[in-house]
Amino acid sequence: MAGVKLESIVKRYGAVQVVHGINLDVDEKEFVVLVGPSGCGKSTTLRMIAGLEEISDGQLTIDTRVMNRVAPKDRDVAMVFQNYALYPHLNVADNIAFGLRIRKESKDKIAASIKEVSGILGLTDYLDRRPADLSGGQRQRVAMGRAIVRDPKVFLFDEPLSNLDAKLRTQMRAEIKRLHKRLGATSIYVTHDQVEAMTLADRIVVMNDGRIEQLGTPMELFLNPANTFVASFLGSPPMNLVKATLGPGENGPTAHFAGQSMPLAPLDALQNRDGDEVIVGIRPEYVDVATAEDATQVQVNLELVETLGSEALLHATLAGDPFVIKAETQGNAAYLQKVTGFTIKPEMLRVFDAATGHAVPGQDRQAA
Amino acid sequence: MTVENVDKPVETSSFAQPTRVQRIVDHLKREWQIYAMLIPLVIWLLLFLYKPMYGLQIAFKDYSIFRGITASPWIGFEHFHTLFGSEQFVRALRNTFIISFYTLVFGFPMPILLALMFNEVLNQWFRKSTQTIVYLPHFISSVIIAGIVITAFSPSAGIVNTVLGWFGADPIYFLTKPEWFRPIFIGTGIWQEAGFQSIVYLAAIAGVSPTLYESAVVDGASRWQMMWKITIPSILPTILIMLIIRIGNLLEVSFEMIILLYQPATYETADVVNTFIYRQGLQSGQYDFAAAAGLFNAVIAFILVMGANSISKRYSRTSLW
Repeated sequence: MAGVKLESIVKRYGAVQVVHGINLDVDEKEFVVLVGPSGCGKSTTLRMIAGLEEISDGQLTIDTRVMNRVAPKDRDVAMVFQNYALYPHLNVADNIAFGLRIRKESKDKIAASIKEVSGILGLTDYLDRRPADLSGGQRQRVAMGRAIVRDPKVFLFDEPLSNLDAKLRTQMRAEIKRLHKRLGATSIYVTHDQVEAMTLADRIVVMNDGRIEQLGTPMELFLNPANTFVASFLGSPPMNLVKATLGPGENGPTAHFAGQSMPLAPLDALQNRDGDEVIVGIRPEYVDVATAEDATQVQVNLELVETLGSEALLHATLAGDPFVIKAETQGNAAYLQKVTGFTIKPEMLRVFDAATGHAVPGQDRQAA
Repeated sequence: MTVENVDKPVETSSFAQPTRVQRIVDHLKREWQIYAMLIPLVIWLLLFLYKPMYGLQIAFKDYSIFRGITASPWIGFEHFHTLFGSEQFVRALRNTFIISFYTLVFGFPMPILLALMFNEVLNQWFRKSTQTIVYLPHFISSVIIAGIVITAFSPSAGIVNTVLGWFGADPIYFLTKPEWFRPIFIGTGIWQEAGFQSIVYLAAIAGVSPTLYESAVVDGASRWQMMWKITIPSILPTILIMLIIRIGNLLEVSFEMIILLYQPATYETADVVNTFIYRQGLQSGQYDFAAAAGLFNAVIAFILVMGANSISKRYSRTSLW
């Protein structure tokens, strides 16, 4: 296995620049997920690593070797594609063996590899079937088998679960995680699904508009989003962002909005900034809901309660903007219908500068 | 509210189910616009392909244009006996099979090769220019094509004899030599149609998912390997369908071109069933005899297409029906 290093990687299509100088260091055996909205440049970055797209500027290194001008076949990477890219005219065994046959490996080695990989992926009973005769999950496993069988230095996954239904996606996600633990392979995984990113990654790279917005472990990004983009992208549902003005309060800086106020943590960066515009980030799961009879810190207008079983999503408005609360039903969903507000501890809030969208310094929490 | 699930056999459903006729009527009411669009084609089929079949009966009659089809007396298979006793027909049948066979062997792979080559050309300008050049002969009338061929192979001013002359060879009157007719005819057919026929294969190649190639590139496949292991297997169903159609038309040799190029001196290798029918039916006025030859031709073609379809269905899962 090997590490992957991207230094100031740029991609241009004519005059249009789509990737703007990305720097990323993927350690050996690490599982890194590139996540971001459609068109953010994550797939283009992955394809540059694979050699399917030319690098316009910057340097790509895999295992100490500069790869910018190295052909894809000589980079020793394997890629799993979104639509599986299985050869429809070949059966499962031949699909798995394709890369080995191209490299003219011996028949004995090919047979042994097919046996081993099909065993790992539970495909032994399907080796004679063609892709058209397989389910989506089985096809995805064949696609992974084709990558695994080559024993490459780096695995690249380009949204491999996007074509699967929700249940199968969850199942395959767990399988990929197990497989990574078993093989210990350096893996770079592209997805637009933040749940996949959170569950699979050792580290997540959040991308937007061809740039890296933030890089860190899933919990670091969840607890300490560097800006409003990351805050609104990660988490399900994402963080609520409330525009407010800083002002004085009983216990230090306070956020004022729509005739209400919320005490903030006494950060140095918030001192002497009365009147400054900020954005207060409130995770839906960090609030304690309250009814009219309870002591309520912030009032909301509840519009809809979505019961999910043990949890419920409360869709409300705060200062005219949508505001979502995630609460436990505790077997009493009727109580949630009466919610009129919530309370939250100041240290659970995340404050962003309204002008730049960046998090105010000094408020990072330690990931457990 | 209580919910009870009871497994009932489908046959014993107590709900009134629409009959097959009702379902068809409902379907026609719902989709009548689509069927309305079929009407012109159905009329064309009836008028030009099915109505003439009525006249096929003259193959079994002593037909006279004065008595008409109905009043002409039945004579059974007499025309067919005469047909198989005719040296000219047997020669025409043999020539049809030989020319068709060579056309299949040399002409069928050519559009596939062209499509594969076009697919490998990366320079868009060059690709478009060459495609236009090879498509062009298809749009030229057969009469003009024949004129070009006759001129090109002319013993006095033809380019072929001129080039041969540069190497000291005596002029050859190619189009009067029976041994040269088939190569010239088959070559002309390939030149005229191969480019245009390649469009079908280019369309099939365009339908191959680009990720298959990308995946192969990452796996280390060369362009040659990708052509053999991805492109050709991917377009194989199209190739087989085209082959079935071609085999069905095996006896339909391009007879206009033969009429335009052949002459009595080359009948030995050039006369085919269709030119035989043309001469017997239109030039000699033996409509009943020509109809018998045409019917025989059609029956053989039908057997060929059925046979090819069955073989393809059995061995490649690809078939016309």
